[in-house]
Amino acid sequence: MSFLEVSDLRVEFPTSDGLVKAVDGVTFAVERGETLAIVGESGSGKTVTNLALMGLLSKRGSRISGSAIMKGDAGNLELIDLADVQMRKIRGKNIAMIFQDPMSSLHPYYTIGDQIIEAHQVHNEVDIEVSTARAIELLEMVGIPDAANRLKAFPHQFSGGMRQRVMIAMALVNSPELLIADEPTTALDVTVQAQILKLLRELQSELKMAIILITHDLGVVAGAADRVNVMYAGKIVESAPVGGLYANPLMPYTHGLLASIPRMDRGHGKRLSAIAGQPPSLIALPAGCAFAPRCTFTERVAGGPDRCKSAMPALTEHTPGHFARCHLEGATL
Amino acid sequence: MALSLLTGVLVSCSSSSGGAGGTLTFLTNAESWTHADPNRNYTGQHIAWFGSFMHRTLTAYARAEGAAGSEVVPDLATDTGRSSNGNKTWEFTLRDGVKFEDGSDITCEDVKYGVSRTFATDVITDGPTYAISMLDIPSAADGSSVYKGPYATDGNDTAAYDKAVTCSEDNKTITFNLKRAVGDFNYTVTYLSFSPVPKAKDTGDQYDLAPVSSGPYKIEKYKAKDEMVLVRNESWSKDSDPIRNAYPDKIVVRFGVAEEVRDQLILNDSEPAAFSLDAVLPTNLATVFNEDGTPKEEWQGRALNVYDPYVTYTAVNVGKVPCVQIRKALYYARDFAALLQLGGGPAFGGDPADGVIKPLMGLDYKPVTGLEDFKPEGNPEKAQALMAEAKTACPDVYAKATGPGLTFDVGDTDTNKKSATIWIDSVKKNAGINLKFNFIEPGQYYAVVLDPTKQGDLSRAGWAPDWANASTVIPELFLEGAGFPLSNVGKDPAYAEFKQRAEANLSEPDRAKQGAEWAALNQYVMDQMWVIPGVFSKTQEIWGSKLEGVFFWEPQGAPSFGDIKVKS
Amino acid sequence: MINYLARRIAISIAILFAVSFAVYLIFAILPFDPAALTCGKSCNDPGIIEANRKRLGYDLPIWTQYLVFLKGLFLGRTFGEGAATIFCPAPSFGYSFQEHACVTNSILEALPVTLSLAIGALVLWLIMGVGLGIVAARYRGRAADTGSTIFVLIGTSLPTFLTGLLLLVFVVVKWRILPYPSGNYTPLFENPLEWLNTMILPWITLAFAYAALYTRFVRNAVIETLSEDFIRTARAKGLSEKVVLRKHTLRAALAPLTTMAGLDFAGLLGGAILTEAVFNLPGLGRLSLGAVVDFDLPIIVATTILAATIVIFMNLLVDVLYAFIDPRVRVAA
Repeated sequence: MSFLEVSDLRVEFPTSDGLVKAVDGVTFAVERGETLAIVGESGSGKTVTNLALMGLLSKRGSRISGSAIMKGDAGNLELIDLADVQMRKIRGKNIAMIFQDPMSSLHPYYTIGDQIIEAHQVHNEVDIEVSTARAIELLEMVGIPDAANRLKAFPHQFSGGMRQRVMIAMALVNSPELLIADEPTTALDVTVQAQILKLLRELQSELKMAIILITHDLGVVAGAADRVNVMYAGKIVESAPVGGLYANPLMPYTHGLLASIPRMDRGHGKRLSAIAGQPPSLIALPAGCAFAPRCTFTERVAGGPDRCKSAMPALTEHTPGHFARCHLEGATL
Repeated sequence: MALSLLTGVLVSCSSSSGGAGGTLTFLTNAESWTHADPNRNYTGQHIAWFGSFMHRTLTAYARAEGAAGSEVVPDLATDTGRSSNGNKTWEFTLRDGVKFEDGSDITCEDVKYGVSRTFATDVITDGPTYAISMLDIPSAADGSSVYKGPYATDGNDTAAYDKAVTCSEDNKTITFNLKRAVGDFNYTVTYLSFSPVPKAKDTGDQYDLAPVSSGPYKIEKYKAKDEMVLVRNESWSKDSDPIRNAYPDKIVVRFGVAEEVRDQLILNDSEPAAFSLDAVLPTNLATVFNEDGTPKEEWQGRALNVYDPYVTYTAVNVGKVPCVQIRKALYYARDFAALLQLGGGPAFGGDPADGVIKPLMGLDYKPVTGLEDFKPEGNPEKAQALMAEAKTACPDVYAKATGPGLTFDVGDTDTNKKSATIWIDSVKKNAGINLKFNFIEPGQYYAVVLDPTKQGDLSRAGWAPDWANASTVIPELFLEGAGFPLSNVGKDPAYAEFKQRAEANLSEPDRAKQGAEWAALNQYVMDQMWVIPGVFSKTQEIWGSKLEGVFFWEPQGAPSFGDIKVKS
Repeated sequence: MINYLARRIAISIAILFAVSFAVYLIFAILPFDPAALTCGKSCNDPGIIEANRKRLGYDLPIWTQYLVFLKGLFLGRTFGEGAATIFCPAPSFGYSFQEHACVTNSILEALPVTLSLAIGALVLWLIMGVGLGIVAARYRGRAADTGSTIFVLIGTSLPTFLTGLLLLVFVVVKWRILPYPSGNYTPLFENPLEWLNTMILPWITLAFAYAALYTRFVRNAVIETLSEDFIRTARAKGLSEKVVLRKHTLRAALAPLTTMAGLDFAGLLGGAILTEAVFNLPGLGRLSLGAVVDFDLPIIVATTILAATIVIFMNLLVDVLYAFIDPRVRVAA
């Protein structure tokens, strides 16, 4: 059994317009020391999936079903059914999270020292000095110079990259088993992006934690993840080891995403190919493949476009470990 | 009249037997008294109030209900005055033992000094000016008195004043020398403008804030927007003051009480020893009074709905509307009933007036005849008949009234705007007369209409006699150069006879004969329709359950504050 | 910070001089004769008017008048000569002929009333507004929130004079819960109970109107702050909802309230005209209103300058306070 096994996770938000199926039967697993990337456009369900795992979705505003079992230091835990009090003990200790915009994710009125120490104190009954030492240790670990003095600084006194390092330090202060990194580099400069991803990779090998890396950018995934889940309209549409996915995308949507990555060898002056059209509304999804309206390959499907529009393809294993949800049945795109 | 006299006597008997004490509270929306300086008090309510508690005069009105109240009785003086020289010299002798609050004796010089202050019209503003018009002091070239009061220095003829007002050797008898015969000068001196003021304590304009008491109470605290507190004046003695009762131990006036709160405090009897100094809000009248205007059963003894001394009317500028038929047509055409409804209806607004003298005036009133065709809702037949006459009798005025229309001056208030629509509609419908209204800022209203160059064809007004003699009504309203001549009757063919009769009657020594003549002159005025009479107006008073002895003091047109007792 | 303060105070004083001069100039330009106004509405005696003109210095050129006025502020001022001398000690704002008093005395009499009113009302409306706002935000969409919305609607639509009148008529007159105040204003140190009795209804009246605005403001601010990224971070740390609300949400949500409360308070110190009128409180509002009605120029000038001083001072205070609350402002300043 894997470290984290998520099966048939569903998250629905009742709204006045109808039921929003944000996550629609998602199943995946992550091992310790492994990085799983979840890739998709905004609204694909990747962030909601992880908020569900963290128990950060409002109980009043959402309906969550399915299972997510974490086999960790705290024993086997069903994250989906966990009571609030228990979930709070896990959160920040066994599972930690870092977010897209480190500026807005840090409290502007408190020093970073206060914020990191608070994260340590809430899960450890130790003196403040112990927590302070731990905070300094972590800040040094994430590569912030003069850490002891910088504890007294406020978030706005750091650069964007440094702030994200602070966030990482804060997330790792309790040595979590699982780190969920939600678009950790999106708000950063390209050079800083690489540094942060490298840092995460290094820390992972040191701390042996599992990482779920959420991103809309397949470009950052290449060097950072072991496995990739591509999500579209609340469903996993392709799941593969990084190498297999880049070499042989089986789903037209993945293909589209790959085509939108800027690459040095394509030369200047050529527009990036983006996927035409908009993601579908999650209310009243069509019966068939959710991507069909935007798909340029439906003509090549055995049974034609009608089949794509009427029947939802299953997530099937095409080569060992490479799954895709498409009627094209493994044709090379 | 005899009956009300009897009840008046009964009231005063029962009240003198009761105990004294307690705190009597007055509530008002006003931020302060208009004036507390005796020489500057003019309105009946203020004279009644200050006259009851603080300021004494040579003579005063009797404290009695009904017509008995109009009798003049001695106050500081030992009698009601002795006249000689054909009513041109009047003499009053002060009682023994009359004192100011500081214990000093009130002397003739103090009265003389008080009267002298009324000549300083630049400092002692707003007070009655009877002393100026009656005392035998020459006028300067510009018509003003050569004496300018005690504060002026340059070119002030103090000798002229000293000649007109003299004090006896013992400083107890004051003599007034008048420029014309005034048969009722002892009524004139009931005004607080004839109150004594100690020269040493006079602070001019600021005396208004801290006047020295000669009555049963003195000021402990007086602060505008806050309150006035009166406490007993230990220097005052009942022995030298037969007319003041001085029942309560303390008197408090609360200023600036919101109107609704003021009424509710009394309506709910939250302040059972409180008396409202202001008119009851129209919306609260139904709580207290029946539809016919009488107090409801539970309000018996706590409310009054009585005639005040005012008569309202519309003055016709006779110089501009020289046509009696048109003036009468206006009288018959207007929808009086609708206008009265605006003022609270007959129960609270008052009765249709038949002239400028109120029935309260007793001797001076006689019902006016010749107005039998009056209908409250308007009489179109009569009005149209008069218009038909006017068409041939005075074609110019007729053309103006039915063409461009007559201008009508009123104060710019909501009620006046509503009444304007009633006037316009009814007069047009019933007589074919057009009206154009001129709304004037209320504070400026009388300044505008009293200026003949600015006055329109018709002007809204109201008048109350200064004392119970129509000598303060008929001549004041209609003689040229008088106090309130809105009708501008000087050029009317009927004026000459009026002038001769009115002036003669002013010096008539026989009060009964004089009264009959005022009534006849009132009839004369109405025959000419120099004014279009409005209402004999009414006023409503309410007070708390712990107060008793309240009655309406007719000559002042106000409750007899000095007779109010707080039940223990 | 010291430098910053010194600079701000210097600027404030300069502004005050400018305001006082502008006020002086405006009244000099207006087409009425200040000397004629001193002897009342019915007075037109040129002798008195000219005497008062000389006495009050209205015969001097406007520049000289202003300098004399400034001198009076620091040294006091004597009006007239001989027996009719009136001396107003420093700081002298002039002499009012309508009030028969040195303007400074009139203001010193009215100021405690207005201060009592404003401070009490401020405390009350902050407690009500912040409390209700938090409850409404916390239980958003539920009965408590609906209740607060109704409160906000009533509070913002009821004019204060009506609230005041209703309170007086019902609480004092009809139900007799409170005794009818024995005076219009009793100083706190003279009789604390009577002071409370005279002030409680005016406080409630004013607080009612403001609390409604503040409830809405706080509710929205709390809801907005609750959706901030740093709140998500705080939850991700495993903090309890209580800590999230008290420590992380409120500080950020209520910071802008400092500015709002400071300026509203300054506005009230200028005088709450309607409330003072309904309860017949002899405060600055009634003093100003009366002065405007009577064209009592010295008082109008003084109250205008006073109001400007209060607003300028409160602005300064709010800025300093804000710097203590929000570290980002602190460093920028």
